[in-house]
Amino acid sequence: MSLATDLIGEPIGADALSDLRSAVGERWVRTDPHVLDSYAAQPFHKVEVGVWIHRPIAVVMPGDATEVAAVVKACNRHHLRFKAFSTGWGAHAGAGFDNVVQIDLRRMNRILELDIENRTIVVEPYVTCAQIQAEVMRHGLNLHIHGAGSNCSPLANATSHMGMGFSSISMGYSPRNLMGIEWILPTGELVQVGSFATGAGWVSPDGPGPSLRGAIRGFAGADGGIGVFTRVGLKLYPWSGPAEIEVSGGSFRGMQVEIPPLNGSFMCIFSNLEDYGDALYDIGYAGIGYAQFKAATGLGLAIGEPELFRRIRDEPGFREQVRAFENQFIVIIGGHTQEHFDYEVAVLGDIVSEHNGTMNSTDGLMATGRGGLWWAVIRNSIAPGMFRPTGNFYSSMGGDEAIANALRQATVGEELKEGFIAEGSCADDLVDNAHTLLYENGLYAHTEELVLYDHRDREQNRKLKGLSDTVMHSIVERTLGGGGFSFFAGAYAHEVLGPHMENYHLWQRRLKSALDPEDLSDSKYFINSEGVEAAGHG
Amino acid sequence: MSLESYRCDMEGCSRCSSCKWIPLAQIRSQRWSQVCPSVWHNDFHAYSGSGKLNVALSILDGRSDFDESAADIFYACTMCGGCDVGCKVYRNDIDLTDTFHEARARAVELGFARLEHLQLVENMRAENNVFGLPRDERADWAADTSLLDANSEQVDILFHVGCRFSYDESQRDDLLAAVEILRTTGKRVGTSGTAEACCGQRAYECGFDSELHNFGDDMVNRVRTSGASMVAVACSDCFGAFNYLYPRNGKDLGVPVRHISEIAAELAADGSLVGAFSTPNATAAARPRVVTYHDPCHLGRRGEDYAGEFDGPKIDRPDNTRRDGRGGRYDAPRDVLKSLPGVTFVEMQRVREFSWCCGAGGGCAEGSESFSIAVATERLEEALSTGADTLATSCPWCVTNFTSAREQMRADGDHREIEIIGISELAARQISGEVPVTITTTATTCEEAAT
Ligand code: SF4
Ligand code: SF4
Repeated sequence: MSLATDLIGEPIGADALSDLRSAVGERWVRTDPHVLDSYAAQPFHKVEVGVWIHRPIAVVMPGDATEVAAVVKACNRHHLRFKAFSTGWGAHAGAGFDNVVQIDLRRMNRILELDIENRTIVVEPYVTCAQIQAEVMRHGLNLHIHGAGSNCSPLANATSHMGMGFSSISMGYSPRNLMGIEWILPTGELVQVGSFATGAGWVSPDGPGPSLRGAIRGFAGADGGIGVFTRVGLKLYPWSGPAEIEVSGGSFRGMQVEIPPLNGSFMCIFSNLEDYGDALYDIGYAGIGYAQFKAATGLGLAIGEPELFRRIRDEPGFREQVRAFENQFIVIIGGHTQEHFDYEVAVLGDIVSEHNGTMNSTDGLMATGRGGLWWAVIRNSIAPGMFRPTGNFYSSMGGDEAIANALRQATVGEELKEGFIAEGSCADDLVDNAHTLLYENGLYAHTEELVLYDHRDREQNRKLKGLSDTVMHSIVERTLGGGGFSFFAGAYAHEVLGPHMENYHLWQRRLKSALDPEDLSDSKYFINSEGVEAAGHG
Repeated sequence: MSLESYRCDMEGCSRCSSCKWIPLAQIRSQRWSQVCPSVWHNDFHAYSGSGKLNVALSILDGRSDFDESAADIFYACTMCGGCDVGCKVYRNDIDLTDTFHEARARAVELGFARLEHLQLVENMRAENNVFGLPRDERADWAADTSLLDANSEQVDILFHVGCRFSYDESQRDDLLAAVEILRTTGKRVGTSGTAEACCGQRAYECGFDSELHNFGDDMVNRVRTSGASMVAVACSDCFGAFNYLYPRNGKDLGVPVRHISEIAAELAADGSLVGAFSTPNATAAARPRVVTYHDPCHLGRRGEDYAGEFDGPKIDRPDNTRRDGRGGRYDAPRDVLKSLPGVTFVEMQRVREFSWCCGAGGGCAEGSESFSIAVATERLEEALSTGADTLATSCPWCVTNFTSAREQMRADGDHREIEIIGISELAARQISGEVPVTITTTATTCEEAAT
């Protein structure tokens, strides 16, 4: 349990400090407790109680890959762990142990190349999705923005984390969009992966030669446990909207946007989960849609219309009426031509009516105002709103499965959440779930049981660990497959889930031991070379 | 309030970094996507809005001391409120700048106030103005204006001039143009002359609360004496003080506060603004200009109407009782500019409630000059990127800081031209065909006068 003054280790030694200063210059190394603590306040995505994670021993800010390598080598010389950090949202971005040097990559914020013809962009770690989208839209291009939102680093996500998002239906998930990686190994050597390494441009992420993409990240990413990534190429996709979007009335609530021609946003509602699932399969087969997601009904309201949500939640009659809208998802259509747009809208309409559903434009829906929801999804500016209702949330049940199994996960997730709400482990959000976000043409559906809670409510915060464990073990016991976001429980989750998923954890441990024999690349949220104890769980 | 009373805000920060950027939905380029001058300049997370909350919590939790290094972090901030706007796109329960204010007040209590801020307060106490210039010279500028003496005559509009406009000769044309705009209302306009005193805002932002209270009481008395039904200001700092800080701190002026841009916009709407500046030369064609506008923080996001405190847990706080910036004065100055002959109006990317700061606020112009100028230079770069040849604004502090930044750019060999001008003066010039409002041959800034 992290109390206010726990998790503060010994100060850094003079020799190590001097080495770090040589690596990046004195201005870019800080060891004062105030600055260090600003990297230790990470209440999100952690199951331990309170705000604080381990205080790093130093924060360094390298300016390029050479300096990153020098920092990592200095850490190796002094047997210090290190953890890279870009936009840095969540406990998994911070120090998992004492004696960790936090490598803040904020200075590495350059867009290095934009190849419009071949639809690729090369970026450093501290470039955000919103920045890239703004820059490439004026060239008729767009990028996949992962679920955490456009305030985050696509490099961090694509190299080190999960990576589904609203646009997954047309753009896949983040690792699929990698077009090459520059990587500083845990020992400090620089490795380049992909065709650019041989001077052939950012056209293939996997060759010439054997691909290291799977080794680097597996399915869910190493969350900083396997070195530092300093440059990636990313695949871009066509965008038929205007170069810039005019926004008025607010930036989230009340946001007014004119949905441009060739674009539309539709809510599809079904009377039961079976029809809902069948329609999703058909959408996947048809290969339509620019973005798609199923919003959790209560949570969506709580983010956009908190006052209305509270009234609905507390009024049994309203509550049931709103829950009747649970079997809905939103599809955004983005056509390249009028014919293309008309075709996709017509196909969507046919699929929805074939499965006894109804389909309505979301233009003007809820507090987001005219067109606001459409733009909030395209820009993916929604995610930080998850904190509005209660101050924090946790992503538990779920993973990435075939649609039918994802719906099973969602149903079990709701069942569990109902119990958690009853025992006060989390807030009442009408129980409904966010699930079945399609990607890879409907081959996968991503599901998350989002649990709202307030870490400032210590009693509720204390119950989170039990909630997280219950969810993880339910996945195993009820053989629901796909560990998904239970990985936020830390390295322990890999040990629990691995035996049920082809022992991936053993393979990853071998890789980790080979690449990081001293276990210096902070593995709190990944496999460590020795097992659960060394991962610091408990 | 106390620093402790914001613990829940500090603990609530999710570390999403929305306080570092203009709202995500508004980002139009990488270059102009940041909103926080402090973290832009100092890079480490501690300097962001979120980071300052973390530092304050670290102190409250006993993990670190409130020492010189903590004070440095709290003072490396223009108190512009950009972080508050970014955060409140998503959060109802976190007040960043109010927390920073309490941290600064604690810094003062513990003896970590900046020397320059102590000097500013000393000046205010001695001479009623932030520069320490003689109080009996405060109304010299008005010698030929025949404005009414609101200490002895009843007026409709009490024009509070403010420290910078009162003493800064380099901005005299803007001030006199503001007077002409006020006269055009047809109301009886007066000032408090040498009895006028600082609004107290700059001291308050540095952590000296009692100055705001003392000067606030004086202001309340002057308004009552004058019989005015409106207080008019041309300075955005004064506007933010009277419109937000005074009611929040229990100082009730009892009458509405209007900024000159709001009054000018009304006159422009009914066609009478032209009358303020028509001269025999008015037939001369207005100089064609490409104008962009800088939103001063204290007329915009920091100048919203005070809506009272919400009586309940902040997590349940409705939008209309929090300070999210959307209620600032943004349209009026734009309406004025768009109404002026010869003006082609262009916008920067960071505007309205998510505007970039001029760098002068939060005691930075006084205590952190190079930071302050760097912030202003960044804004000049943004203005230049629009193709504008004129940067208009509605605050004399912004004009001063931008002018200093432009001088620094010139000294560094960058001679790109952009004229920096107050909105009243620009109206006068465009309408009158560039006939100056007054001829000022020996303009000195108040900093020069004070040395
Ligand atoms: S925007 Fe608000 S919640 Fe997010 S990091 Fe900044 S202060 Fe914290
Ligand atoms: S008030 Fe302005 S300078 Fe200070 S932390 Fe907030 S955005 Fe940054």
